Amino acid sequence: MSAAGGVPGSGHEVPGGTWRGISFEDRMSTVEFRVGERAHITVDSDVCRSCTTKACVTACPANLFAPTSEGGILFNYEECFECGTCYMVCNHEGAITWTYPDGGLGVVFHHG
Amino acid sequence: MDDIRPGPMVVACIRITDLRPQIEPLSGTVVREPWSTGLSPPDAAALEYSFRIAEAWSGHVVVITAAPPSADAVLRDARALGATVLRIAVGSPSSDQAYMDDLGSDERAMAGMIVAALAPFGRPSLVVCGDRSSDRGTGALPAFLAHELGAAQALGLVAITTTDQESMVVAERRLDGGWRERLHVPCPAVCSVEGAGVRLRRASLTATLAAQRTEIPQVTAAGGPGTTRGTHPGGPAEVVVGPGRPFRPRTRVVPAPDGDDPRLRLLALTGALVAHDPPTVVGPIDAAGAADALLAFLIRHGYLDTEPVGEEAATEGTR
Amino acid sequence: MGKADVVPTPGVSSDTPAFDAVVVGAGPAGSATALALARAGRSVVLVERGPFPGSKNVYGGVVYGRVLDEVVPGWWNEVPVERWVVRRSTMMMTGTQSLAVDYRSAAWGEAPYNGMTTVRSRFDNWLATKAVEAGAQLVTSTVATGLLRDGHGRIVGVRTDRDQGELRANVVVACDGVNSLLAKEAGLMAPAEASHHTLGVKEVLDLPGHVIDERFGLRRDEGVDIEMLGCTRGIPGGGFLYTNSDTVSLGVVLSLPHLAEAKVRPEELIADLKNHPSVAPYLRGATLREYAAHLIPEGGYDTMPTMVTDGMLVAGDAAAMTLAAGLWLEGVNFAIGSGLAAGRAVDRAIAAGDCSAKGLASYRSDLEGQFVLADHKRFRKAPALVLSERIQQRYPGLICDLVDGMFTVTNPVPKPGGVRLTRSVAAKHGVKLRQLAADTVRALRVFG
Ligand SMILES: Cc1cc2nc3c(=O)[nH]c(=O)nc-3n(C[C@H](O)[C@H](O)[C@H](O)COP(=O)(O)OP(=O)(O)OC[C@H]3O[C@@H](n4cnc5c(N)ncnc54)[C@H](O)[C@@H]3O)c2cc1C
Ligand code: SF4
Ligand code: SF4
Repeated sequence: MSAAGGVPGSGHEVPGGTWRGISFEDRMSTVEFRVGERAHITVDSDVCRSCTTKACVTACPANLFAPTSEGGILFNYEECFECGTCYMVCNHEGAITWTYPDGGLGVVFHHG
Repeated sequence: MDDIRPGPMVVACIRITDLRPQIEPLSGTVVREPWSTGLSPPDAAALEYSFRIAEAWSGHVVVITAAPPSADAVLRDARALGATVLRIAVGSPSSDQAYMDDLGSDERAMAGMIVAALAPFGRPSLVVCGDRSSDRGTGALPAFLAHELGAAQALGLVAITTTDQESMVVAERRLDGGWRERLHVPCPAVCSVEGAGVRLRRASLTATLAAQRTEIPQVTAAGGPGTTRGTHPGGPAEVVVGPGRPFRPRTRVVPAPDGDDPRLRLLALTGALVAHDPPTVVGPIDAAGAADALLAFLIRHGYLDTEPVGEEAATEGTR
Repeated sequence: MGKADVVPTPGVSSDTPAFDAVVVGAGPAGSATALALARAGRSVVLVERGPFPGSKNVYGGVVYGRVLDEVVPGWWNEVPVERWVVRRSTMMMTGTQSLAVDYRSAAWGEAPYNGMTTVRSRFDNWLATKAVEAGAQLVTSTVATGLLRDGHGRIVGVRTDRDQGELRANVVVACDGVNSLLAKEAGLMAPAEASHHTLGVKEVLDLPGHVIDERFGLRRDEGVDIEMLGCTRGIPGGGFLYTNSDTVSLGVVLSLPHLAEAKVRPEELIADLKNHPSVAPYLRGATLREYAAHLIPEGGYDTMPTMVTDGMLVAGDAAAMTLAAGLWLEGVNFAIGSGLAAGRAVDRAIAAGDCSAKGLASYRSDLEGQFVLADHKRFRKAPALVLSERIQQRYPGLICDLVDGMFTVTNPVPKPGGVRLTRSVAAKHGVKLRQLAADTVRALRVFG
C-alpha cells in the first residue's frame, strides 16, 4: 500500500493488508464525464466568505469545493455527479446557482 | 436512399462504436453495449468540419459508416443536422469473434467498400475522417481511402478551413514544440482530424423528432470486413508488407563513472550539466533524402552497422 | 422557481398541441408513463437529458420486479438481470462487531422471483425500449429547461435546450427524479429540504463471478442483498452490499444535514465499511470499476408534493416516492407503479377532454388504492424511526454487546441471566429498558 493511502490510524489501513487504498483522483477517473463548455453550477465566492459552515466542502461527493485562503470557495464544475447535495446543504441563499449541464453532457454512469 | 443533391459533396467517414466498452478482467472479453455507442471526439470533429465546409461551399454532407444497426441512432442525429446518411452493414460486433474478425479485417478492403458505396452519390470533393478510432485506432483508413479515390491526403489535422476557391482547403497540423504547419490541400482530398478544437453542433428539436422515425439506408458490404489482406481485386499495385522482425536497437553500455563524490558520479552518469548536440535540421528535402538522412544518423550513432543494401528503402513520392 | 407564475409564454399560440403528452425523464417512472400512454394509443414524447436512458441514474442495486407483470408478462425471461436475490441479510454493526439476521428463500430463486440485482444503464434502457416499441418517441441528450403556460397559467408543454425546442402537449408528466426542477417550477413542491434527503455514494467493484459465488454462498444466478446499520459513524443512514454477475455494489446512504454537520467525506465512510472485519473478507482483491453518487428523497408519505395541477402531474422520485422504510430502499418499483398510474390517468383525462387538475385527479386515488401509496402510508413513520438517534447510534452497539454477552464463553464466571445482561448492556449504551420496550412497540406498529 502506498504511504498516502495506508497511514496507520487514518482509517484507511487494511486488516491483513488486502484492501488497497485508492487516491481520490483514481476514484474519479473511473467515472465518465462529457465536459461541456458552460459551467452548469456556479458559486459566488463573495457570498461564501461570510459562510460559517462551509458544509459543501466535505459533503460534495466529487470534492469540487476548495476553500481559498481568503475564506472564499474555488469551484470546478467539470467532474460533477449532478447530485444536488451542494445546494441542499448550502446555508447561504444565493451562493450556488444550480442547473443541469446541456443535453448529452456531464456525468455518464455505466454501472449506476 | 436519400436524394442525390446538387453542389459539392463533403463526406464524413466515421466509426460508430461503444466509447467505453467493458473488459472482463479475467477473460479479457470485451463487452460492448449498443446504447453507449457514440462518436469519439475525432469522429465528432470530422462531422463538424464536414458541415462547416459544406456550408461554406453551399454543398451537402454525406455521412457514411460501416457498422451494425446499433449505429443508427447516431446516424439519425446526423440526419437531423441535415446530412444524407448511409450505413454499410457489417456483422454485429456483439460477439467477440465478429469483433476480432473486424479487427483483423483489411482496412484497404474497407476503403474499397466505402468508395463503392459512395459511387452512386457522385465524386466527393472532400472526405473527412477522425484521425483514429477509439477501438481500432490504426488511423490507416483515410490513407487507403485517398488511394482508392486518387485524392490528395492530409492526415492528423487540427483545423480545416476553406479558401475562396472550391478546389483548395487550408489545413493545420501540429508539429513538435508548439509549432504548426499550414498545408494547402488540393481537392479532391481526404483529411483526418484530431478530436480537439471544435464541438459537434446540436440538431434542433423539430429536426430530431422528424429524423427519429426514419429508416437508415443500408448497403451490404461487398466482400466485407474479414476479406483477407491484399486480395482486393482489380486495385492498383499494392505495397506488400512481408513478415519482419521488430526493430530493437542494441543497448549501449555506459561505463560506470569514476570518482569518489557520488554527486559528481551522478552528474557524469546523467549528463545533466553537459552541453548537448544541438538538434540537426535537415530539409526541407524529399522523402528519399529524409530516409537517407535518418539512416546516416542511425549509423553515425552506432544503431546500424552496415549501409542498407540496394534501392529497397526508396519509395515513390506520393501524389 | 417558487410560486407558479401565470405569465403566458410568449409565442405560445392556442393551436392544437403536437402531442397528447410529453414525459420528462426516461427513468423507470418516465418510461412506464410513456409505455402506458403509447399502449393506450396516445402520442407521447419522452425527453431525457442524458445521452441514453440510465446514464444519469444511480441506485443501490435491487429491483422488486412484480410491478412489471403489468408491463411484460413473463418479464423475467427478458429483463437484463444480474442475479436473483435469494438471500437477504440485515446487519447491525459497530466498529468491530456485527450481528446479522439472514434470510434465504428458495422460492425467491424461481419465477416470478422477488428481487433482482441489475444495473441502471441496462435496466432503464430496457424499459425505455419497451416504451419506444409501444410507439413512444424518445429524445435523448435534451434537457427540459422549463414549463410552457397559456394565458390562464395552465401548463401546456415544456421548453428544451435545443433550437426550436418547444414541445406542446395536453399534459406534461414530470418524471425528472429527485431534484425535480419542473415540480418546483410548477409550484407543486416546496424548495428542497436537506433533512428529507439522503446522499447515496456507491462503489461498483470488480470481482469474478465464481469468487462471488464462493464467498457469498451462491450458485449461478443467485444473489444476495446485505443492508447494514451502525456503520456510518453515527450519521443517520446505513450501508448496502449487493452482488451482481461479476461485480458487487457497495455503498452508504447518509442523511444530508448530519453529513454536512459531521464534516466527514462520504468516501471515507465507504472506506470504513470496506475495512470492517465483517465486510473486508468478502471484498478481498476487488478493484473499483465505477464510483457514483445520487440523492434519495427519504421523507416518505408525509413529504410528498401535490401531485397534480392543471396540465401536469408528477411521478416517481420527483414526487418523493422512494420508500425508505429502514434500509430497504425501494424506489424503482414505486416509480414504475406511479408511472403506469400516471399514464392511465392522463389517458382518461384526454378521453374525457379535461386535463385540468380535476380531470387528472384520478391519479392520486388510483395510487392510494395500489401498493404505491398504500405501502407509503403504512410505513409513513418509518423514516423518522429508522433515522432516529437511538436506532442509529445506540441500538447497533447495544445489540452487538448483548449477543456478545450471550455468546462469549466466560467460564468459570457464570453467564449473567438474560434480563440482567440486557439491563447492564442497555445502561452502558445509555438506553433505558423502558425506551427499548417502547421502541420495540413503535417498530412493530410501523413495520407490523
Ligand atoms: C444510492 C441509492 C440506492 C437506491 N437503492 C434502491 C434499490 O436498491 N431499489 C430500488 O428500488 N430503489 C433504490 N433507489 C431508489 C431509486 O433509484 C429511485 O427511486 C428511482 O430511480 C426513481 O425513478 P424515477 O424514474 O422517478 O427517477 P430517476 O431514476 O431519477 O429518473 C429521472 C430521469 O429524469 C431525467 N431528467 C431529470 N431532469 C430532466 C430534465 N429537466 N430534462 C430531461 N430529463 C431529465 C434524468 O436524467 C433521469 O433519467 C436507490 C436510490 C439511490 C440514490
Ligand atoms: S455552504 Fe454554501 S455559502 Fe457556504 S461555502 Fe459552501 S457554497 Fe458557500
Ligand atoms: S451536484 Fe453533487 S457532485 Fe456536483 S458539485 Fe454539487 S454536491 Fe458536488
